[in-house]
Amino acid sequence: MSAANLESLESLEQDALQRIQSAAALADLEAVRVELLGRKGKLAGLSKDMGQLTPEERASRGKLLNRAKQALEEALEQRKSAFEDTALHTRLQAEWVDLTVPAPGVRPGSLHPVTLVQREIEDLFVSMGFTVLSGPEVETEHHNFDALNIPGDHPARDMQDTFWLEGGYLLRTHTSPVQIRGMRKLGPPLRMIAPGRVFRNEELDASHEHTFYQIEGMMVDREISVSHLIYYMKTMLEGLFRREVTVRLRPGYFPFVEPGFELEIQCLLCGGKGCPVCKQSGWLEQLGCGLVHPNVLRMSGIDPEEWMGWAFGLGLTRLVMMRYGIDDIRHLQGGDLRFLRQF
Amino acid sequence: MKFSGNWITEMTGGLDVTTKELAQLVTKKTAEAEGVESVGEHLTMVCAARIEQVEQIEGSHNRKAVVETKLYGTRTVVCGAPNCRPGIMTAYVPAGCVLDGRRIEKAVIAGVESDGMLASGAELGLNRETAGILELNAEPGTAIPGCGPDSIIEIDNKSLTHRPDLWGHHGMAREVAAILGRPLRDPVDLSLLPEGEGAIGVNIEDYALCPRYSALVFENVTVAPSPLWLQYRLEAVGLNPINNIVDVTNYVMAEIAQPMHAFDAATLNGGTIYVRRARAGERMVALDGEDYALDEQALVIADGEGAVAIAGVIGGLNTGVTEKTTRIVLESANFQAGSVRKTSSRLKLRTDASMRFEKAQDPHNTLRGLARAVALLRQVSPGIRLVGGVADDKGELVPAPPIDLPLDWLRRKLGRSVPSEQVRSILESLSFGVAEVKAGEFQVTIPSWRATKDVSIKDDLVEEVGRMVGYDTIAPEPPLVPSSPPPENPERNYLHQVRLACAAQGFTEVSNYSFVNQAQIAELSLPEADHVKVLNPISSDQGLLRTSLMPGILRSVRDNSRHLDNFRLFELGHEIHKRAGDLPNERLHLAAAVYSKAGDGQAGLFEAKRLAECLLKNAKVRQTEAKAWEHPARAYEVVWRQQAVGRIAELHPNLATGRAAVLDLDLTLVQEMGSEAVKYQPLQRYPSSAFDLSVLAAERQPVVEIEDLLASYAGPQLQGIEFVRQYVGPPLAAGQKSVSFRLRVASSQKTLSAEEITAIRAQVIAGMEKSGYELRV
Ligand SMILES: [Zn+2]
Repeated sequence: MSAANLESLESLEQDALQRIQSAAALADLEAVRVELLGRKGKLAGLSKDMGQLTPEERASRGKLLNRAKQALEEALEQRKSAFEDTALHTRLQAEWVDLTVPAPGVRPGSLHPVTLVQREIEDLFVSMGFTVLSGPEVETEHHNFDALNIPGDHPARDMQDTFWLEGGYLLRTHTSPVQIRGMRKLGPPLRMIAPGRVFRNEELDASHEHTFYQIEGMMVDREISVSHLIYYMKTMLEGLFRREVTVRLRPGYFPFVEPGFELEIQCLLCGGKGCPVCKQSGWLEQLGCGLVHPNVLRMSGIDPEEWMGWAFGLGLTRLVMMRYGIDDIRHLQGGDLRFLRQF
Repeated sequence: MKFSGNWITEMTGGLDVTTKELAQLVTKKTAEAEGVESVGEHLTMVCAARIEQVEQIEGSHNRKAVVETKLYGTRTVVCGAPNCRPGIMTAYVPAGCVLDGRRIEKAVIAGVESDGMLASGAELGLNRETAGILELNAEPGTAIPGCGPDSIIEIDNKSLTHRPDLWGHHGMAREVAAILGRPLRDPVDLSLLPEGEGAIGVNIEDYALCPRYSALVFENVTVAPSPLWLQYRLEAVGLNPINNIVDVTNYVMAEIAQPMHAFDAATLNGGTIYVRRARAGERMVALDGEDYALDEQALVIADGEGAVAIAGVIGGLNTGVTEKTTRIVLESANFQAGSVRKTSSRLKLRTDASMRFEKAQDPHNTLRGLARAVALLRQVSPGIRLVGGVADDKGELVPAPPIDLPLDWLRRKLGRSVPSEQVRSILESLSFGVAEVKAGEFQVTIPSWRATKDVSIKDDLVEEVGRMVGYDTIAPEPPLVPSSPPPENPERNYLHQVRLACAAQGFTEVSNYSFVNQAQIAELSLPEADHVKVLNPISSDQGLLRTSLMPGILRSVRDNSRHLDNFRLFELGHEIHKRAGDLPNERLHLAAAVYSKAGDGQAGLFEAKRLAECLLKNAKVRQTEAKAWEHPARAYEVVWRQQAVGRIAELHPNLATGRAAVLDLDLTLVQEMGSEAVKYQPLQRYPSSAFDLSVLAAERQPVVEIEDLLASYAGPQLQGIEFVRQYVGPPLAAGQKSVSFRLRVASSQKTLSAEEITAIRAQVIAGMEKSGYELRV
């Protein structure tokens, strides 16, 4: 290679590198590439007369040309990727989003608080082999009273302010009639619960409703004792309150059970020492329960000498109010979404 | 019911527990004590005192009295009572004593320093006498005889419903004695009853209504205020002292649960008391001054002329004891619980007597009541004399049969064993008779006061033993039962799925009343005759049962639209439809509403439709005739598996401001239709091809009809048809729209060739044109 050629290769390379570095756009780079590295480019021009050279000269010229070509290609590549990085960066920056703006679309609504607690109790009992039954809101006197060992002149009817309907029917005053329907439908042995709406003829105020909810439960089997009843009640209440509870039974009167109990739990707030919530007694009344009265079994076609049972009735509405700290019972049937959306 | 701690203690020979502890024990083992209240605490400081000297204070109605109290020395007090005079013995209250929450202090009254006070019976809480200071018969410095501090246990009446015996102190004392292992003292001495023929005749018409009527006649009666101890005791348990005779009847009632009544014998006509049904139109003015109209269902006590008492409820005004009375007929009777209950509720008159008779009192108790009254009357009406023996008419009193109690059965019921000796001692402490007829089995006889209704079967004895050993001695234990999945309740599961789906679509659950009123149903044109009527509604707002959830939903929409611009709500509830000769037909419905204060309402309707589709796969809607409360051009039926299962409509704009789309589905019907079994369809083996078609149609032509028509012409190779868009506006003529669909075709045998696809397309176009549609290809 002549000195002049050598010199021009060097200045060519320097000049090209300069142009690559100062390129303002991808197009500038492409121009440099075509001008120098293209098939008809300047580097190709410099290798045109290689055929006339000696093998040594050819080898040495080839090496120089290759090195220059490599250097330029590398510089082009680097510069190109720098351009791409910048372009990507610019595009991504332009894609800035303010996610603090509310997302469009519908949010889920909420379920009624009674539904929520009822569902918890249902799931708990279903997991223990109980079936969930339902019954009508309009009942016969037979199902609501007589079959539950509450005959016509029984003073227990005083405890229940009944809404009477035309045709001799009534609005059920408790979910207990579903016990009767359950026994007749399933036969012994059986394990059932029955949540539902019940009615009492009472004036409406912050703590009294004529429409409220109960859950009834019943188990009939060969060997059923008070001890089993306590077991199920404790299991249910611990499931509901999600902690260990101390329960106690005291005598309570319900015509459809014998013996009958009021079940209380040790106050969860004061641990039994006494506080305003438990009215200083240390105990909170939870539900009524007992062993199924043999008359009730008999009236539903179950032989009380062969089968025994327990039953309970729980004020679901009261439990819901306790769970969520609701101080006015009227909210529950009030339909105000500002209340209902909180659950 | 209020129980005096002192009274109970007298009958149990002294107790070593506080009344508060006693109340807790009674709650755990017998009946619910709602609270304990102290009365008469001040009486430990009050003493009898003689008025030595009285001097009128100038310019004041008050007088200055010097009293000898012995206990506190001689004191000077200012007193305004008219009966404040020298020589009488009265009650002195020293400074520092608290009366009814007010602390008595030394004070200067009308310029004179008063060191303590002289008190009336009402001020001391002994009776209701306010006219003057007490006049006592006692030594100065001594306490007021028979009047000391007491603790009152308030027992919840509801928990005494089944226990007639607990409506008197003696019954409660028996419980306490059994709980604490103390002896029980009986205040009744039957030997006081006179022998011989009764001085008055008794004639019971129906022993079923009045199993027993016992009476005694007394003469030389002095009617006067009772001694203070008696007044104080009645006052403490919430009974109003009246006079010595009436107070004795109330005392016996409060003590042994036997209601009694005293007639002024001089006011009774004839020598016979009749217990009979009231005559039609019969009336009686009762002791409360009210004139009661009676009917033939009411049982009355009558003399030769007419009713003198409503049996078991209240006595007559004209035959009652007055200050002039000198001869009385004392009634101690037993009436059928149901009859008294009915009469009392029909007359809306509940008395201390009727509350007790309602619980089925023991007919054996009538003579005990008379015997106890004899003792008390001799005490409070000195010189009183019995006339004749006991007049006693009664039906056959059949003793309750004994109960066989197998001890192993008792163990199985309780879930713990109780040693047989303990079972025996528990039952005996409650006055049951126990005989071991064979190994492991007791024969138990029931005391008459527990046999009327309360105890009749062995299950009742489980309670007696259980409560006395203490339910807290029974450990919770799961039963040994086969573990098996419970019978399924598909309806419940379905309902919950529906709830979750509604909530997921943005709807919030509400719960409305089952009651509706006339105005509500009129607004929705629901015929009143279809509704079940409530015979005793609280208010006229609740006179009918709902046959639709819509009245409630409408109320919820209106109420919430006052606070919110947009909302979605739903309710699951029963429609109650009247059915002749049977319980009403209750159908479970879902009602949902989408409300928007602004907008044209279309979005809400489509949301309602989407909710229906979420709940019912492939549900369709078809336009239907609008009901009165629906937007006339926006009412649709929801069709699922070829059946109409509900409606979607916009509420008529007259009914609510803003737009509300409502969905109403008959879930009972949907449940009855059951679910369709899922059957697998093989996947398409050969590729499908699609082509688009746009159809020109009348603007109000439902898209679904065009779609169905396209499908019918496309033939068996149609895989699917998809609505793409519709267009109204230029260049289309007014009243026209262009609807675009994408049709996808394929064969299960081979890949369709371009020619075959074109042929299908041409066939569809030809068919549509034949049906009168123009296509924009
Ligand atoms: Zn507490």
